Amino acid sequence: MKIFWSFTRQAFQFASVYRFNFFVEIFLTFLRMYGIYWVWRILYTQKPGAFGVDMKQMVTYGVLGMALQILVWSRVQWYMASQVKSGAIDTDLMKPLDFHIHMLARSLGETIVGGSLALPGLIFSFFVLGVSLPADPGTAVAFFISLVLGFLVIFHLNFMLGSLAVLTLDIRHISWAYNSIVRFFGGQLVPLWLFPPTLAAIANILPFQSTFAIPMSIYIGKIAGADIFRALGFQLSWMVVLVLSSRLLWTWAHRRLVVQGG
Amino acid sequence: MSAMALYFRLIRVAIQARMQYRADFLTGIIGVIVMNVTTVTLIGILVTRFSHLNGWSLWEVVFLYCLWLLGHSLFSLFFWHVRALEDYLVEGTFDQFLIRPASPFILFLGREVQYLGVADAIFGISGLSLAYSNLDLHWNATKWLFFGAAIIAGTLIESTLSLMIACISFWTGRSRRANNLMMQINTMVQYYPMDIFGYVFRVIVTGFIPVAFMNYYPALMLLDKLDRVGSLWWLAYMSPVVAFLLVGITSVVWRLALRRYSSSGG
Repeated sequence: MKIFWSFTRQAFQFASVYRFNFFVEIFLTFLRMYGIYWVWRILYTQKPGAFGVDMKQMVTYGVLGMALQILVWSRVQWYMASQVKSGAIDTDLMKPLDFHIHMLARSLGETIVGGSLALPGLIFSFFVLGVSLPADPGTAVAFFISLVLGFLVIFHLNFMLGSLAVLTLDIRHISWAYNSIVRFFGGQLVPLWLFPPTLAAIANILPFQSTFAIPMSIYIGKIAGADIFRALGFQLSWMVVLVLSSRLLWTWAHRRLVVQGG
Repeated sequence: MSAMALYFRLIRVAIQARMQYRADFLTGIIGVIVMNVTTVTLIGILVTRFSHLNGWSLWEVVFLYCLWLLGHSLFSLFFWHVRALEDYLVEGTFDQFLIRPASPFILFLGREVQYLGVADAIFGISGLSLAYSNLDLHWNATKWLFFGAAIIAGTLIESTLSLMIACISFWTGRSRRANNLMMQINTMVQYYPMDIFGYVFRVIVTGFIPVAFMNYYPALMLLDKLDRVGSLWWLAYMSPVVAFLLVGITSVVWRLALRRYSSSGG
C-alpha cells in the first residue's frame, strides 16, 4: 500500500510542476463552465422546465460535466504509449509493483491534480452560476460511490487503450476519436435523455455513461430511489468486465512487447 | 527567388516529407472526422430538442460551425506549427532560419504542413453545402465574393492571433498554454452562436480576441440576420478589415520579437 501511494504522489508532483499551466488550466475550466451555463440558461428561457428538469438542475449537470472532464482526465494511456515508444517501459516493468496497479496509482495521482483544478471553478459556479448541492446526504453518498466507480471504468478503458500502444506504437489519432466518443455517449455535454431513441439505446448499453451521465444524474436527482441501485449495479458490472479484460489484454500485450533500444 | 516562390517550394518539400507516413494520414483523417461529427451531432441534438438556439435554427448553427471550420482548416493546414514556436526556440532549431539568406518569417512558415486540415476542409465543405440547400439560400455574386473573403479573413485572424501569442515565448520561453486559452475561447464561439453569451464575453470576442469575426459576424451578413445586432450591423462586413489590421499588428510584433531573440545554443 505504501508503494502504491508513493507512485500516486509522484504522479501528482509531476503534473503540478508547471505552476503557470496550473493556473491556465483552472481558468480554462472556468471558461467551459461559464459557456455551458449560458447554453442551458438560454435554452431554458426558451422552454422552462423542459424534459422534467428545471434550469438549476440542468446548469448543475452542465457544470459538473465540465468538472468531471478535468477530474477523470487521465494521461495513463499517453504515459504507456510514450514509455513503449522510448523503451523506458522496461524500467516500469522492473518496479516492485504490478504494472496494472502501478498505472492505477499514477492515474489516481492525476485525478487528485484534476480535482484541485476543478475545485476553484466549482466554488465559483456555486456562488455565481447558481449550481446546487446534492439534495440530501444520501444522494451525496450515492454520488460519491458512483463517481469512484466511474473513475475505475474510465481508467480501465484508458489502460486498455494504452495497452494497444504496444501493438501500434502511436495512439494519438485513435485517442482523438476515442475521447470524442467517450464524451458523446457518456452524456458529458448533452444528457442522454435528450438523445434520439436509437442513439440513446446505444448509449445506455455502452460503459461510457458510468463516467459522466450516471454520477451527474444521481447528483441532480434525475436518478433517484431504487434506480440508484440499478445504476450503481450497471457501473459495477462494467467495472468487473473491464478489470478482467484489462488484465487479459495486458498479459497478452506484455508477451508481445518488444523493447526498442531501451 | 521571390518570397512567394520560396514559400511554395518549402511547402512542397514539407508535403513530401509528410506523405511518407500514409497510415498515419488515414487514421488522422478518421480521428478528425469523428471529432467533428460528434461535436455537430451534440449541438444538433440540443437545437432540435429545443427547436432553436436563441433564434438560430439547426442548419444555421451548422452553417456557423462549418464557416468557422473552413477558415480554420486553412490555418491548420499551413500555420498549425505556429503554435509550436516555443519548441523551435527552446531546442534552438530557430537558429537555422536566421542563418539562411532568406526571410526568417518565410522559412518558419514554410517549415511544416499539417495534413489534418484536409479533414476539416472536407467536413466544412460538406456541412456548408448541406446547410446551403436546407436553408434554401440563393446567393448573388456579392455574397459569394464576401463568403470567399470571410474564409480567408478567418484563416488570417486565427493565424495572426496564434502567432502573436506564440511570440510571447521570445520573452518567456513558453506560450503554448496561452495559445490553448485562445483556442478555448475560439471553441466556444465556434460551437454556439456567440450572442447567447454574456455582454463581457461578447465584447472580448469582438474587440480583444476578435474570433467572432471568423464566423459569427460574416454569417449575419450571409444569412441576412443583420437585425440581430441592430445599429452595429456594419460589424458584419468588418472581417476582412479586422484580418488586415491583425496582419499589420502581427508584423510589428514579429519584428520586435526577432530583435529580442537570443539563441538557446542548441
